[in-house]
Amino acid sequence: MAHHVARRTYWIVFGALAVLTVLEILVALPSMGVPKTPKALALITMALSKAGLVGLFFMHLKQEMRALKLTVALPFLFPALYAVVLIGEAGWRLIR
Amino acid sequence: MSAIATAEAGSHSVAHALPPDEYFGSATPGKIGMWIFLLSDAFSFGGLLLAYGILRGGSQVWRHPGEPALGIPFTAFLTFLLICSSVTMVLAVAAATEGNRKQTMLFLALTALGGAGFLTGQFHEYFGLVPHHGLVHEGLIFGHSAYASTFYVITSFHGAHVFTGTVYILVTLARTAAGKTNANDVEILGLFWHFVDLIWILVFTFVYLL
Repeated sequence: MAHHVARRTYWIVFGALAVLTVLEILVALPSMGVPKTPKALALITMALSKAGLVGLFFMHLKQEMRALKLTVALPFLFPALYAVVLIGEAGWRLIR
Repeated sequence: MSAIATAEAGSHSVAHALPPDEYFGSATPGKIGMWIFLLSDAFSFGGLLLAYGILRGGSQVWRHPGEPALGIPFTAFLTFLLICSSVTMVLAVAAATEGNRKQTMLFLALTALGGAGFLTGQFHEYFGLVPHHGLVHEGLIFGHSAYASTFYVITSFHGAHVFTGTVYILVTLARTAAGKTNANDVEILGLFWHFVDLIWILVFTFVYLL
């Protein structure tokens, strides 16, 4: 019951989250002049990476068995699909 | 028979009375329940963020003249505060697993402090703790534009989660002080709190940075 828990991973994840947050802000600053599409792609990639780090290490999803990992991960395919279709459609109407 | 007797002895021993499941291992029903709740909650946020994306993607003008831009530096500080509170929460779970009640309580208290700090910051962002500050005074009015309405709906829905999480932490802290919690209770609380942090990471990026 009272076995020791290693904290090293938590601090590494904390460092990664802090660095990614700083990078995100730098990319988003108007004075950096990053073009719209690369900026959006970079920000979304970094945000999803941060969310993944929190889920895998802070919420211990990495240590769970496959059934629980799939129970949590697979349903997100649907909102992802909706996002691609609906935002794509809205964007298309805008440039049409 | 003995397993049933142990289970009836109280919720604390249930986690250890059940044999490891073929598919879910030693994950307790409470933990699986919290994960499934979080999944449904994630879809609520997903719906809000999708609506935001569709409205913004389909708009000719997103931020109308006279409406303030969202302040990134202050919110970046709030984001960092929430990340720090996630670290103190994970340390509370580690302490609880080691059976260290004092350390568990210390880290739970620090996490609750982080949550209270975030809520204070959000109040300041909306209404201003000092006169003539705050988005409502700068012209970001709920209902005046899709920009304003989506901002308030998404961030306040998240704020409601931070409030709920902070109360949940304080209740768990009091129950831990009374010796009524086990490591599994603290771990389930941790899942909720990390989820609130995870959602904020996405909200910060989509609503403030993009």
